Amino acid sequence: MRRFIDGYARLLNVLLGWSVAILVVPVTMQMLARQTGLIPSWIWTEEMARFFFIWMVMLGAMVGVREGTHFDVDLWPPLAPRANALLRVVSMVFVLVFALVFVWYGYKFTQFGWNQTSELADLPMAWIFAAWPMTGVTWLLFGFTRLRADLRIFIDGPGPGSGVETHKEIATGSVV
Amino acid sequence: MTGAALTPAVAAMWLFGTFFVLMALRVPVAFALGLACLPVLFIEPRLSPMVIFNTTFKAYNSFILLAVPFFLLTANLMNVGGITDRLVTLSRTMVGNFPGALAQINVLLSVFFAGISGSSTADAASQGKIFIEAQVKEGYDLSFSIAITAVSAVLAVIIPPSILMVVWGGVLQVSIGALYLAGVIPGLLIGLAQMATVHVYAVKRGYPTYPRATLRQFFRAAAISIPALFTPFIIVGGILLGWFTATESAAVAVLYAAVLSTFFYRELNRAKLWQALLDTGKLSAIALFCVGTASVFGWLLAYFQIPKALLENVTSWGLGSIGVGFFIVVVFMVVGCFLDAIPAIIIVGTVLQPLSASVGMHPVSFAIISIVALAFGLVTPPYGLCLMISCAIAKVPLRYALKDTMIMLVPMLLVLAAMIVWPQIPLILPELIRPDYLK
Repeated sequence: MRRFIDGYARLLNVLLGWSVAILVVPVTMQMLARQTGLIPSWIWTEEMARFFFIWMVMLGAMVGVREGTHFDVDLWPPLAPRANALLRVVSMVFVLVFALVFVWYGYKFTQFGWNQTSELADLPMAWIFAAWPMTGVTWLLFGFTRLRADLRIFIDGPGPGSGVETHKEIATGSVV
Repeated sequence: MTGAALTPAVAAMWLFGTFFVLMALRVPVAFALGLACLPVLFIEPRLSPMVIFNTTFKAYNSFILLAVPFFLLTANLMNVGGITDRLVTLSRTMVGNFPGALAQINVLLSVFFAGISGSSTADAASQGKIFIEAQVKEGYDLSFSIAITAVSAVLAVIIPPSILMVVWGGVLQVSIGALYLAGVIPGLLIGLAQMATVHVYAVKRGYPTYPRATLRQFFRAAAISIPALFTPFIIVGGILLGWFTATESAAVAVLYAAVLSTFFYRELNRAKLWQALLDTGKLSAIALFCVGTASVFGWLLAYFQIPKALLENVTSWGLGSIGVGFFIVVVFMVVGCFLDAIPAIIIVGTVLQPLSASVGMHPVSFAIISIVALAFGLVTPPYGLCLMISCAIAKVPLRYALKDTMIMLVPMLLVLAAMIVWPQIPLILPELIRPDYLK
C-alpha cells in the first residue's frame, strides 16, 4: 500500500510539472497566430489553456495534502510534540470531511458533465469535472496516511519508530 | 437574490464563525473557507453544495489567472538561470559605496527583481538565501538583515508586473495596463523610503561599505544585465501597445527568461528546468486552489447581501474620501494579517468597492492603495509570508525580527498615507501615457 501511494504521488508530481510546461504552448500559439499569421488562429487554444490550468490547480491541490503545504495560520504557542500531533489530527479530520464532499458531490457534478460539451473544442465536460472527485479520492488517500502517522505519534509519543517527520516546511502556501 | 431564508446577520455568523473556528484549529485556510460554506449551503433551502463546484469551476476556468503560474515560473527561471546573480553585480556597482552597502544592494535588487517578477514570496525566498548570511558575515545585525530582506520583497507586487494587480484587474474589472503604470511611482517611492531607512541604520550602527565602483565596472555590469532589465519594458510595453493581454505578457516573460538563461547566460539545464516547473506548479496550485474556495465564500457573502449590510453601517459614519481611504487601508492590513492577499482581494475588494465609489475615489487609486496595504500585510504577523520566509531561512522564530520590521514599516506607511491624502500620485503615469485607460 505504501509503495502504491508513493508511486501515485510521484506520478501526480510528473503530471503537475508537465501541465505547467504545456500551459505555455497554447498561449504562445495564440500570440503567434495573431501577431505573425505563421499559424492559423485556432480558436481552441484559449480553451485548451484554461482546461490544462484547471487540472494543474487540482493536481497541485492533491500534492499539497500529501506534502502538508496547504497554508494554515498558526496562532498557538509552541506545543509539545504530542499536543501538536493531536491538533494535526483534528485539522486533518476536517480536511477529510471536505474530501468526502468533493467525492460525493463531485461525482454528481461529473455525471452532470456527461451531457455537456465544451463551447469551443466540443470536449465532454466530464473530462474536466472529473478533476473534482479525483481530488477528493486522492485527498482521502493521502490524508489518511498522514492521519495514521499523527495518531501514532499522539498515542505512542514521538519516537524513532513513528516514521514521520513532524517538521513542516514553512510558507509555501502563497505565490504573492 | 432577495428572499433568502437566512438574514444577512445570521448567514454572516455562520460563515465567519465557522471560518474562524476552523482557522484556530489550524485547518488550512483553503479548506477552512470551503468548509465554512457548508452549513449555510445545507440550511438555505435554495442552495446546495453544488454551488461549491460551479463556483470553483468558474474561478479556475479563467484565462487571467493563468498569469499566476507564468509569473512564478519567470521568477524561478531567473533564479536558477543566473539572471539574479548578474543583477546583484549591477546593483553593487550602483550603490556599493553607500553606507550599509550590502543592504542597499538588497533593496535595489528587489526593485530590479520586482520589474521582472510579480511575486514577493519568490523574491523573499531567493534574496533571503543570497543576503541574510552574507550580511551577517559582514557585521550587520541578523534581525536587521532579515527585516530588510522581507520588507524589500514586498516591492515585487507593487512594481509591475504584479500577480496582485492581475488578480485585481480580473476580479474587479479594472484595466491591468492602468494598474501596472499606476504601480511604478508608489513602488519607487517605497523603495526610496527603504533605502533612506537603511542609510539611517547604517550610519547609526556603522555598517560597512564597499569601495566606489569605477564607471567602467558599472557599464560592464549594466551591459551584461541589460537583456534581463529589458523584461519589464517588454511586458508592460507589450500590453500598452496592445500587442498582448496580461496573461500573454506573462507567457512572453517566461519564454524570454528561458531563452536568456539558456542561450545568453547559459546556466539553465534540464534538471534545473524541471525543478523550476515543479516548484511553480506546487506553489501556484496551492495558492490558486484557495482562490476557488475563497470565491465560493465571496459568492455566498454576496448572495446573502452581507457586504451591503456592512456598508450601510460604515456609510452612516459619514467619512470623507480621505477617511474612507484610511478605513480601506486599515481593513486590508488587518485582513492581510490572517488571509492570503489573493482571497483577500476576492472577498474584501469586492465588499469595499461600492464604498470607495460612493466617495468618488478613482478605481485605480482604490486598487493601488489596497494592493500596497495588502503588500505590507506580507510582513505583518501572524500571516506575514515574506517575514516568515526570511525568518525560516535564518532559522529564527518570527518575533526575532519583528521590531526592526515594524521600524522599517513606518516610512513605508508614510508613503502609503501620502497616496491616500494625494490620490493623484498613482495616477500620474497612466494620465501621461494612456489617459484612455482611466476612463
